[in-house]
Amino acid sequence: MGFASQAFYFLRHPNEFRDIIQWKVWHDPVHKRDPSKETPTEKSCFHYLNLTSRSFSSVIQELNPELLMPVCLFYLVLRGLDTIEDDMTLDLKLKEEHLRHFDEYMEQDGWTFDKNGPNEKDRELLVHFDDIIAELKKVKRPYYEIIKDITTKMGNGMADYAVNAEHNANGVDTIADYELYCHYVAGLVGEGLTRLFVESKLANPQLLVRMDLTESMGQFLQKTNIIRDVHEDFLDKRRFWPKEIWSKYVDEWDDMFKLENREKAMQCSSEMVLNALKHADECLFYMAGIRDQSVFNFVAIPQSMAIATLELVYRNPAIFDSHIKITKGDACRLMMESTQNLRTVCDVFRTYARRIHKKSDPRDPHFLAISAQCGKIEQFIETIFPTQDPKRIAEGLPAEGGITAIETFLLVSAALVTLFFIGGIMVGVAYLAGARFDKVIEDASGAISSIAGAVPTHGHEEL
Amino acid sequence: MTSEKKPALGRVMVIGGCGFLGHHVVRLVLRDYTTTSVSVIDLRCGNNRRPDSDGVRYHEADITDAARLDDIFAEERPDVIIHTASPAAQANDSVSHALFKKVNVDGTQAIIDAARKAGVKALVYTSSASVASDNKSDLINADERWPVIRGANQSEYYSETKAWAEELVLKANRAPEGPNLLTCAIRPSGIIGEGDRMAIYHMINIYRQGRTGVQVGNNDNLFDFTYVENVAHGHLLAAVALLATAKSSTVPLDTERVDGEAFFITNDSPVYFWDFTRAVWAAAGSPLGTDHVRKLPRSVGMVLGFLSEVFFGIIGKPPTFNRQRIVYSCMTRYYDITKAKKRLGYKPLVSLDEGVRRSVRWTLEQEEKAKAKGQ
Repeated sequence: MGFASQAFYFLRHPNEFRDIIQWKVWHDPVHKRDPSKETPTEKSCFHYLNLTSRSFSSVIQELNPELLMPVCLFYLVLRGLDTIEDDMTLDLKLKEEHLRHFDEYMEQDGWTFDKNGPNEKDRELLVHFDDIIAELKKVKRPYYEIIKDITTKMGNGMADYAVNAEHNANGVDTIADYELYCHYVAGLVGEGLTRLFVESKLANPQLLVRMDLTESMGQFLQKTNIIRDVHEDFLDKRRFWPKEIWSKYVDEWDDMFKLENREKAMQCSSEMVLNALKHADECLFYMAGIRDQSVFNFVAIPQSMAIATLELVYRNPAIFDSHIKITKGDACRLMMESTQNLRTVCDVFRTYARRIHKKSDPRDPHFLAISAQCGKIEQFIETIFPTQDPKRIAEGLPAEGGITAIETFLLVSAALVTLFFIGGIMVGVAYLAGARFDKVIEDASGAISSIAGAVPTHGHEEL
Repeated sequence: MTSEKKPALGRVMVIGGCGFLGHHVVRLVLRDYTTTSVSVIDLRCGNNRRPDSDGVRYHEADITDAARLDDIFAEERPDVIIHTASPAAQANDSVSHALFKKVNVDGTQAIIDAARKAGVKALVYTSSASVASDNKSDLINADERWPVIRGANQSEYYSETKAWAEELVLKANRAPEGPNLLTCAIRPSGIIGEGDRMAIYHMINIYRQGRTGVQVGNNDNLFDFTYVENVAHGHLLAAVALLATAKSSTVPLDTERVDGEAFFITNDSPVYFWDFTRAVWAAAGSPLGTDHVRKLPRSVGMVLGFLSEVFFGIIGKPPTFNRQRIVYSCMTRYYDITKAKKRLGYKPLVSLDEGVRRSVRWTLEQEEKAKAKGQ
């Protein structure tokens, strides 16, 4: 968008403009990294973080210092793996070998990789990977072990997909395959992060017992991206929507994008959204286990963006012929609401759940199931933050925890009494200090009569 | 269910076993449990009868007739009683009030008395989720800690009598007059299903009359509807739990106990009120989406409801549209059924979606049958 068109857009959407300004002006990071105290290799790591990630670099850099470097390095290592996996110019054998042994290379001082194609967008990261390795050596042992373990698992998972010709030719088949794929690209990252959070005592250790909650966090984000990016992936000749779902609506994947099949495609996308929505309540549950504000912000922002994106793509035919995104204003508002506390994030989820069900079409086969899924999100929020208190209801008090008429009366009376009391003392003190109230009253009445249009007869002479 | 070993219920008696809920209880008993005998008591036993090959014994009786109950109980010697009998809650006049009191309160007391004499082990009573509602305030994720609304605060006399009977049943648990009788109450919310001639029937009528284009309120209000088979399932899980307690020599912990307790039972999936009606209309064949829907604020609806009441009052007919309808369609009323899940091991067998499809299909079949008869 050019400046003029952007200005015009914000003229029509002043609220969004306000949200952007508010975020820029009022957002106060819990922690800020201090570049003046950083080593050259540390600086280099943040340079590559900024280069390779749009969405995560700022939240990572606001993390608690205890986790700042570990999470930054974790991200860069996975991004390195991704850069090898993504590159279609690499020889398959070389690719598989490097994916499976990446966890060993990341331990070798000075290791770099320059065989990526010239157009691979993050190739610079691997060309200078020795800087990342130098910093990895300084990470506390328990954190390092977690990073290495996930790298091993993810590298092998990626290698399996890379050599799986069937997958590469035909895309994802069953819903189970789809969720396994999401596990490798997002669930594993989540596992590593949760272990880092708990290891640093910034999250409730119970999260390690309920790893399914972590899995839901990753699945929710990844599935949302896969739904949103369907057209982009189609252009890249990749498909992640499972055949088990889309084959109910069209015979061939390409048919999904034909105009005459739009309603079928919408119903298919509803099923995809329904499938993603089932993770939403567990995401809220997970976030309830975070004990540090910077970590909370780090996990909550992407989740809020995801539910807003789901609302945007739900029953939206535009996903089949363009790449759509939530607006910048919405993104800023969501970041603001996600960097406070669990309650404000719950409010975001409830708001979007209600908006989702209101977009539903009764003729859609998933109509009632979507309604029930949105209801489930609301019900879950009620279990964390109940609106009603049975004890109050039993006592005959208003259920909503609101203020009764008697309470209002008492409040107003108390305010008035305080006002008169303090006012009285002030007047009394002023009188004792020699204030001439008779003059004030005279003045006032003079002023009133002048306002009323009467000619003052004596006021000025007496002063 | 079929692959596992079926739980045993011994000698089972279903009171109201030819009614809407009752005949589904009988069906589930035969399908999912092993029994020594199955019997039914109902005012009329013509409808919803099992084929003779199922071996269910039917007794026609008025449950307020104590002598008749004693005779049947002496003959059947039931271990378990599932008491589902209740008149339809449609009317709200003094004649139906007398009927509610007679069947729900006096009838239930008569069953408790007969059960004590006959040495029954377990009594499961069908209460109603409406006992916690004052019919105007929201119930948001309410559980069993919420108070039962009685007396002057309870505007529906039907709910008053259900709550009254529930109290009688729960007080009869391990009571000195019959220490071996264990009891509990099931409170279902918004039952739908094959055999229901109320909720779904009414909604399909609205569709037939072309009145799907109005929505009162903003449709953010969640409501619990429950498919009848799930309600029946909840009753039978409770019966199994009571029998297990009866066998055990110790009284269970307070946090595990089923006897003397009430349980909300729902489909565990509250949905937005107007979404539910639209799902029913769509299942009934409505080709319309939501583009034709006009939203009416609740306050305007209340005024219209009042005018309708006045108008029908003048012409001396019961109003087809009134303020209570508006209140219900804008009310949030859903329940937290964690207690039933934990203590009864309850989980709905049939999803709400499937339940709606089955209920609507059945209702449409009845319409077809009625038409065929009329011709």
